[in-house]
Amino acid sequence: MRQLPPPQINSTNTCLMGGPHPPAQGSQTSISYIYTKARDGDRKRTNMATTSFTAPKLSSPTLQTLYRNLPVSVPLPKTRSSFSRHLSPSISRFHHHHLHRHRLFSVRAESENGAEPPRHYDFDLFTIGAGSGGVRASRFAAKFGASVAVCELPFSTISSETTGGVGGTCVLRGCVPKKLMVYASKYSHEFDESNGFGWKYDAEPKHDWSTLMANKNAELQRLTGIYKNILNNAGVILIEGRGKIVDPHTVDVDGKLYTARHILISVGGRPFIPEITGSEYAIDSDAALDLPSKPEKVAIVGGGYIALEFAGIFNGLTSEVHIFIRQKKVLRGFDEEIRDFVGEQMSLRGIEFHTEESPQAIVKSADGSLSLKTNKGTVEGFSHIMFATGRRPNTKNLGLESVGVKMNKNGAIEVDEYSRTTVPSIWAVGDVTDRINLTPVALMEGGALAKTLFQNEPTKPDYRAVPSAVFSQPPIGQVGLTEEQAIKEYGDIDVYTANFRPLKATLSGLPDRVFMKLVVCAETNKVLGLHMCGEDSAEIVQGFAVAVKAGLTKADFDATVGVHPTSAEEFVTMRTPTRKIRQKPDSEGKTGLEAKAAAGV
Amino acid sequence: MARKMLVDGELSQTNADEAHYDFDLFVIGAGSGGVRAARFSANYGAKVGICELPFHPISSEVIGGVGGTCVIRGCVPKKILVYGAAFGGEIEDARNYGWEVNENLDFNWKKLLHKKTDEIIRLNGIYKRLLSNAGVKLFEGEGKIVGPNEVEVTQLDGTKLSYSAKHILIATGSRAHRLPIPGQELAITSDEALSLEDLPKRAVVLGGGYIAVEFASIWRGLGATVDLFFRKELPLRGFDDEMRAVVARNLEGRGINLHPRTNLTELIKTDNGIKVVTDHGEELIADVVLFATGRVPNSKRLNLEAVGVELDKTGAVKVDEYSRTNIPSIWAVGDVTNRMNLTPVALMEGTCFAKTVFGGESSKPDYSNIPCAVFSIPPLSVVGLSEEQAIEQANGDVLVFTSTFNPMKNTISGRQEKTVMKLVIDAETDKVLGASMCGPDAPEIMQGIAVGLKCGATKAQFDSTVGIHPSAAEEFVTMRSVSRRITAGGKPKTNL
Repeated sequence: MRQLPPPQINSTNTCLMGGPHPPAQGSQTSISYIYTKARDGDRKRTNMATTSFTAPKLSSPTLQTLYRNLPVSVPLPKTRSSFSRHLSPSISRFHHHHLHRHRLFSVRAESENGAEPPRHYDFDLFTIGAGSGGVRASRFAAKFGASVAVCELPFSTISSETTGGVGGTCVLRGCVPKKLMVYASKYSHEFDESNGFGWKYDAEPKHDWSTLMANKNAELQRLTGIYKNILNNAGVILIEGRGKIVDPHTVDVDGKLYTARHILISVGGRPFIPEITGSEYAIDSDAALDLPSKPEKVAIVGGGYIALEFAGIFNGLTSEVHIFIRQKKVLRGFDEEIRDFVGEQMSLRGIEFHTEESPQAIVKSADGSLSLKTNKGTVEGFSHIMFATGRRPNTKNLGLESVGVKMNKNGAIEVDEYSRTTVPSIWAVGDVTDRINLTPVALMEGGALAKTLFQNEPTKPDYRAVPSAVFSQPPIGQVGLTEEQAIKEYGDIDVYTANFRPLKATLSGLPDRVFMKLVVCAETNKVLGLHMCGEDSAEIVQGFAVAVKAGLTKADFDATVGVHPTSAEEFVTMRTPTRKIRQKPDSEGKTGLEAKAAAGV
Repeated sequence: MARKMLVDGELSQTNADEAHYDFDLFVIGAGSGGVRAARFSANYGAKVGICELPFHPISSEVIGGVGGTCVIRGCVPKKILVYGAAFGGEIEDARNYGWEVNENLDFNWKKLLHKKTDEIIRLNGIYKRLLSNAGVKLFEGEGKIVGPNEVEVTQLDGTKLSYSAKHILIATGSRAHRLPIPGQELAITSDEALSLEDLPKRAVVLGGGYIAVEFASIWRGLGATVDLFFRKELPLRGFDDEMRAVVARNLEGRGINLHPRTNLTELIKTDNGIKVVTDHGEELIADVVLFATGRVPNSKRLNLEAVGVELDKTGAVKVDEYSRTNIPSIWAVGDVTNRMNLTPVALMEGTCFAKTVFGGESSKPDYSNIPCAVFSIPPLSVVGLSEEQAIEQANGDVLVFTSTFNPMKNTISGRQEKTVMKLVIDAETDKVLGASMCGPDAPEIMQGIAVGLKCGATKAQFDSTVGIHPSAAEEFVTMRSVSRRITAGGKPKTNL
């Protein structure tokens, strides 16, 4: 019984949140966890100790005895409610009377080799930051029997040093609100499409900004509530406040100290706006997701996925949109053809690209409108200027320097393959480590960490073939290597592409197209990369990601029958390579790098 | 163009033999399977002729068109109408996202129909070009088999052409079938349904198959009152039972009136519309009654009896694993063989035929793990085994993972419609035996999943794949807890 969760999770949590005292069910929940753990038969010797959350430490031999004597051999009840019937009156009383104030327990696990001196901790794991990675690690750790607390800043749609919210970037300021806005904005395109299918609107549909914001925020509130419940149900203690590391085993949350065997930093990242003249007038993605009114004319600085997604959102919600990018193309790091294709498609939908233009200053004019001065000139009349110029890890004022947690020059926490920092008891997952900054990757890292720490199963996150999507309009989905990466890594590759007008566009009359690409290793026939830009890309790529991750070959793709009529079937019906890239002069009797156009369809 | 004669892979055949036939291959029917077989055979160097009936959106004994059912009277026009109909729901959903759209929307059916016809005419032209680019000679007219190596094409003006061919391929497809009940002539089939002059206000659909639910969805999406009658408890017999129930629930949720275990007994013409009488004694009035009660192979007018090509009792041409009939020089692919009646399957059969006969590589179509989709609104898509099939076929235990969730879009739109996904796993080998999904984008999502199943992917491989967030599809790689385990030979039991 190494990882003993605190009893009366619900009540503790609710008390912390200032809620009413809950019914006794909470204690049953936690007992069943203890019970589960007991059945798991942890071999390690356990010393029980009690720690009060709010009061000085106090030990209770009675409790130790009681817990040790839980009937380990009794079969696990199927449900919690049925378990309640098995609770002996003494346990119930015990909870009611003895745990009323001092209800938090944790246990110290002592390594069998005795290397560590015995020490009591309030928690097995203390997580700073309840975003995707932190919540996942905490929940799973609790599920594996650990006593876990997580601290998070108070909820706000705009993040800062003092505001955040359970759910983190993904739920409150990222994936979710972004996708909801994408849904909202896509309708204007759908209205256009529907005209081609016989639908007619007496008046051009108008968009009411405040309805969207209200409904979006109601959904975010609901989700942050769900996340709190998830933590609660998993038996994780949630503490609202700003966590700061005091020493390798102690976290300070707004003046209160908590000790933990392991500390997890999962504080995420925040948008970064470079210091230029007038940058105080610029907004970041946090603000852009919660504007009080529709931006009439918006400049977006940046060419990354956030910039493209917001360009699509504002364009769809009928704002005039200008994108300013430093380079010639958007989406550095993506497949070159995808970069070209998405730029073209977005231009066709009315977004204006200003390439190779770097912002130098923002000027606010008397009428309140903003001008953006760049190396090429000045564009005037913006209601909003948004900077999507990258994100930075939230590592300031966490006390990292003082305990010796090493960071890289961007402020990201350096971790090993198991997400361990330079301080052995301190770990970090998610955007704060700046590995691959995606929610599902943070989930993977959090899940792996919980396994490593509390299931005796050292687990490394696997970063191969992680698929991702850009919810631009049209969206992009990709998995594996770009053509350029594949050439570098493998030399000889075959590239299959399709660029077609989807069935829907033939009727709608809109200039929408779809681009698809398979990058195949010439030697092994393995599909190294798969890329798509066009409607439903994100949904389509997921299934193929399973195939790419599993190392399947082009022949495997070809053996699969299509689903007709879909766009996705194109990926299993690409018969002729668009080009064969060969590095070796003797291969196919040709010299150097060669691109061969396919003959016919 | 130099042609190699790779007949049956017998390169050593004498020139005299080759010269004997007008064509190496003559294909009857230029639908998906026929065109594919013709083109690929030509690519292998064969001299190919193909005949097809004149073009018309509604097929009969004497009209058809290059492109076949898929392009002219099936997949393509159907999908176009589904797109058109889906906007109805989209516009409703838009309101909670802040869009102010008039309550009374104008939908112009004639415009959609016209554009649909334009598109299939365009595709018909593309198919003709594909054939001519491949060097296939196209004849317009009705093809008949005169002898094991002899075909006759009756052209539009009545003149008859006769050709000899080393191989003959029957790819004449199938046609919608009407139920023989009193007043059946008042009903239409899917052919006419794709080309109706007016959009019905009250539609009755008879049938529980995919065609029935697709048309029910189309008409409902475009605003009609729709009553769907079928014999079984649930529509879509043959699909996973749990998913059938989901589809039924969704159809009802979208406002379609379901009448399970009900047959139509009579149709009567009235001033008000068609009076529909059911075997439960109910009566209702409809503008349109659609019979989606199955399709029959187009094998009647081919003169097959004369040469002795065997048919099964449904009229389907009997073939072996290589699509060869009992007459060695006569082959058949696609719906006329009634194996698995899907366009991509006909393509596969056509490709295998060309490889086998002219590519020097014996090649059998592989019918395992073929994905398919039902374009109801929302759609259903499946690959591999249903739960019931898995239980029946598996030696050991079967694990079922299901996920039922409210799609993110619905959180704001307020639409009450859950997406359901399901994976069926062989407990012993961890292999994913079947995957199903009912919800938006299901057919697009299932294609990639199908690659995994085709190659024997395990649940562990699904689990090791990182999700794409936020998507519906990511649910397929994040199903962690088993919904139920069905022990070998046992009944389903839940462990919830």
